[in-house]
Amino acid sequence: MSFRVRGRRVRKWFFGDSARAFGTLGVLLLALLAIVPAKDRFREWLGYQKEYEILIRGRTDGVALAKRFQSGVQQIWLPERDVTDRCMTCHTRLKETSLAGVGQPFRPHPPIPHSLTEFGCTICHRGQGVATTVEEAHRSTKAWEEPILPAQYSEAGCGQCHRDGLKGTPQLNAGRVLLARYGCVNCHRLVSPEGGASQGTDRPPSLKRIAEKTTREWIYFWIKDPQAWAATATMPNFGLSDADARDVSAFVISQSSPGSIAPAVATNDAGAAAGAELYGESFCASCHAMQNAAGKITGGDLAPDLTRVGSKVRPEWLAAWVKNPAAYLPGTMMPHFRFDEKQIGLLVSYLGRKQDSYFPANIRLEPATAAQIAHGQKLVLEKGCAACHEMNGVARPDNFAPDLTAVGSLPPARVLLAPGVPRTLPDYLAAKIREPHAFGREMKMPRNQFTDAQVEQLVTALLAQTSRSQTFPAALRRPTPVNVTYQPAGRAGQLMKDLRCLSCHSINGTGGSMAPDLTWEGSSVQRAWLLDFLKNPNTLRPVLIRRMPRFNLSNDDASTLADYIMTAYQTPAFDREEVDATKLTPTEASRGKSLFYGKYACNSCHIVDPDNDKGYIGPTLTQAGTRLNAPWIFHWLKNAQALRPGSLELNWNMNDEDAWAITAFLMQQKNTRKPGGER
Amino acid sequence: MVDCIRGTSPVSEPKDFRASFDSDSQRTPVRVAFVTRRTTPHVTKAGDDRVMTNPDALLRVAVAVMALLIVLVVVSLLFDAPLEGLANPLQTPNPAKAPWYFLGLQELLHYFPPVVAGVVIPSLVVLALVVIPYFNVNVEAEGFWNRNGERKSILVWVAVAALSAFLVWFSVYAVLVPTLVSGGALIVTAAAPPQDKGFGGWLRSKPLPFWIMTWFLVVAITLTVIGTCFRGAGWSWVWPWGEL
Amino acid sequence: MNSLYSRLRGTAVWRSVFRSGTGDTNLHRSLTVQQNIFLHLASVKIRRRALEFGVTWYLGTLSMASFVILVVTGVLLMLYYHPSVPQAYADMKDLQFVVSAGVFLRNLHRWAAHAMVVLVFAHMFKVFYRGAYRPPREFNWVVGVMLLLLTLFLSYTGYLLPWDQLAFWAITVGSNIISAVPAMGAKIRFLMLGGHTVNANALLRFYVLHCVILPLIAAVFLAVHFWRIRKDGGLYTGDKPRE
Repeated sequence: MSFRVRGRRVRKWFFGDSARAFGTLGVLLLALLAIVPAKDRFREWLGYQKEYEILIRGRTDGVALAKRFQSGVQQIWLPERDVTDRCMTCHTRLKETSLAGVGQPFRPHPPIPHSLTEFGCTICHRGQGVATTVEEAHRSTKAWEEPILPAQYSEAGCGQCHRDGLKGTPQLNAGRVLLARYGCVNCHRLVSPEGGASQGTDRPPSLKRIAEKTTREWIYFWIKDPQAWAATATMPNFGLSDADARDVSAFVISQSSPGSIAPAVATNDAGAAAGAELYGESFCASCHAMQNAAGKITGGDLAPDLTRVGSKVRPEWLAAWVKNPAAYLPGTMMPHFRFDEKQIGLLVSYLGRKQDSYFPANIRLEPATAAQIAHGQKLVLEKGCAACHEMNGVARPDNFAPDLTAVGSLPPARVLLAPGVPRTLPDYLAAKIREPHAFGREMKMPRNQFTDAQVEQLVTALLAQTSRSQTFPAALRRPTPVNVTYQPAGRAGQLMKDLRCLSCHSINGTGGSMAPDLTWEGSSVQRAWLLDFLKNPNTLRPVLIRRMPRFNLSNDDASTLADYIMTAYQTPAFDREEVDATKLTPTEASRGKSLFYGKYACNSCHIVDPDNDKGYIGPTLTQAGTRLNAPWIFHWLKNAQALRPGSLELNWNMNDEDAWAITAFLMQQKNTRKPGGER
Repeated sequence: MVDCIRGTSPVSEPKDFRASFDSDSQRTPVRVAFVTRRTTPHVTKAGDDRVMTNPDALLRVAVAVMALLIVLVVVSLLFDAPLEGLANPLQTPNPAKAPWYFLGLQELLHYFPPVVAGVVIPSLVVLALVVIPYFNVNVEAEGFWNRNGERKSILVWVAVAALSAFLVWFSVYAVLVPTLVSGGALIVTAAAPPQDKGFGGWLRSKPLPFWIMTWFLVVAITLTVIGTCFRGAGWSWVWPWGEL
Repeated sequence: MNSLYSRLRGTAVWRSVFRSGTGDTNLHRSLTVQQNIFLHLASVKIRRRALEFGVTWYLGTLSMASFVILVVTGVLLMLYYHPSVPQAYADMKDLQFVVSAGVFLRNLHRWAAHAMVVLVFAHMFKVFYRGAYRPPREFNWVVGVMLLLLTLFLSYTGYLLPWDQLAFWAITVGSNIISAVPAMGAKIRFLMLGGHTVNANALLRFYVLHCVILPLIAAVFLAVHFWRIRKDGGLYTGDKPRE
């Protein structure tokens, strides 16, 4: 029987007449309809739940786990937060800590202070909560534009509510610091839900009198590549061509208002050696870095690198600056050292010789033409220089760059495409920060040399800027602690402002973090010691290199300052004069000594006997008796954090008898000698 | 028509004779076939050739319905209905498209003012559809070119040229092309020999309403396909397979 | 098997429901059609030629079949659907991710709706090209045009119900066309949407139109349409006699 004939017979059997066709098609239809429940039977989540049951069956704690396991679709429904999360359908036991070693989707959630059922999953992690398939729940689709947040940016989820710098989110906090420090927020608006726009912390200098300070050649060199001049520079690289840099430098010099040229200062090599000594004694290195002979950069990062400062600034400007920085730049962080003319001469001699041979030899600029200046001005407007730097005749542009307030919710459809960059929001942000011109030469955004870790930090901070974060109820938000700017009053206040105490110290929540908090300093120390310290500071902590500079204060100024500190900065918790003499007996002191070396082992961190003690972590206590007040020591021992939040001092929970005994012992320490035999 | 011959209506005057139908059975109780001069009443089969609705028709209907159901079930198992993000009045997709059956109209909106494309044209189309059976009933369904070929060809030329000029004036090339195609086909078939048994002859036997409806159908399909597949952001022309 | 069937048909209960009685004569067959509320719109006998596939392509039958499929799936979908914002969209997600066979149900409804629009259009053109619109069937043609419009309205109102971007903007575009009607365009649009924009009122209005008003009107027109087929001389089978 040929194939054809058989085929015809088969067809006749199935479709020979209407009734047969009806029967055949009916059976076919029923078979197809049977696929529908079968499809349901093989849903992804059912497979995962089955896998979980097999997983726990083999475990010793399987019975307990099985008892807590709930099959079927699980969901967290929080209508007021727009959350319908079915993630726990597959991520079955997020709370089973005993499953720690197990892979996804059964891995337990790391411990967090929030309850899963109170917030759901997608508020922090994004993704499509209602979905019950892997693809729809995690990836971006036509119906869902917020794919799951990659694990390395998880802290962005916290950042939506927390602007208070959580301990657990170092990456986010660092990213926010970078956004302010590298001046991103000078061009981009970034508004918090409370309404305030973020402010930069980079303090770009005003250029209104720049011609007094430096030369056009230096500006040319600098704007072409700021990091080539100083690796710590926060100014980004605009990728200017030689001609563009020439024109911009021409304009910058031409807009500078003619200032009073200070008389030149005589410098000499002998002065340079003495100037180096003065530089060291004045602890300039607490803030300024400099490359030493070995090529290593040492010093602080609060102020500009001074390795090649002689090639940068004019000597007459340097002299005027060292004399009183605020005269040139009122907002500077640099203190007003009371240097005399001779000392200024020494410093200028020293710093003026910190030069770079490359710079004057290789950069020669012809005098600028009007056309070049005009072109430079056009470039300055185009590049938005005035968003950071004050300039004559150029207004600060508003909304120069895109608003980043809700950049974390940028829909993938609006993410730009570049070759080699996956089309996801985090990848886009990272690529844009790393190389802005990857998205087109015409992009105005300049480039900063960030490390990969810094890029990740910045992306985390930006991803936290979701549109959802703007609409969270106030009860959920943890705003940035409000900075009530503290400004000391009166003549002492003027003096403290002049000395820029708050550049390093903080008082009442305002100020720097380099030096100790002075909020309760008046309760802590004795006046005589303070006066002496102000006139001739020396470090209390042996391990620290940074020390307080000497400001060459007059006796009058020093005592004004000391009086003010002693009266204004007292804690309400106790009175520093209130000492019960019976507590500070020699018997008590000797008991305190044994407690100091024995029970509490204070000598692990502190030095009392400069010859034998090796505690280098805490402040030296050799002169505690002349420096500190007894009630301060007592309360410090009871609870140091109450007096100075964030202190490294352990919370001893000491009883009163022990605390008084140690206080008595310490009040005996009136040694003027420092460890190592110095002074 | 022929299977309606039942009565014995005398065909007394088989000369020039206008045929007409009337659906009012009270006024014209018997449906009549008219035998004109040019046809011969050659009856091959008369009377009923009917089958029972049950089961013949019912079974066939059931088979047809089942076939449709099978197709729809297979499609439903293989392809999911589209669903995009939650409606957001603030985020306009580009392009925003109407359902596919209105995309022909939306395409017209691109060429004509909204009143014309959105109101006048659709109203005219519906009106035309409604009046078709009442207006210009070509009962004989005579081929368009069968009579007065010369005069008609002038008319056709003028009509196609005028319509084309109008479409060029408004640069409605999406309508112009199908118009030229169907108009051209009409003109070309005039040349086909009347006795042609092939496609040409078949076309030549078609009356004017056939041509007009075909023109409308081709235009509607062209516009809908263009609107569905060839229109992108800002209603600009895009290729469905992407840029080459 | 056959005897069991005929015995079943002879029982008192069966005969109380179906009046056609036992037996396979043409009388009985006629009675099944005549005595059935659903079938009685059709004639008892039909021209053999009208059953040939080439004559009608069964387009009218298939249009009706898709309408029935749509009614059945649509009613089932109504069990899961709230015509409110944004719950409507959440219901779509529930159908997709949680409801057993929910996706299938929605797919079937959606594709059947598209199929119906295509089939109704095809039906119309087929009728035209066959010349089946001519008197005495001219009124049934008009009823058919009304049914075409109803089909479009049904599909269009259903298009908004998922309340996703596709739906929202398709309806926005469509309703903007209506506002081009001279003099009262804006009024008509307001009446249709229950507001000046596509919003929750529009969703409710479209829902009621889609699920109640338009299907009822369509059912009435369908009944007339079928009835008139029979009254206008049965399905049109063409001019030419069969060989």
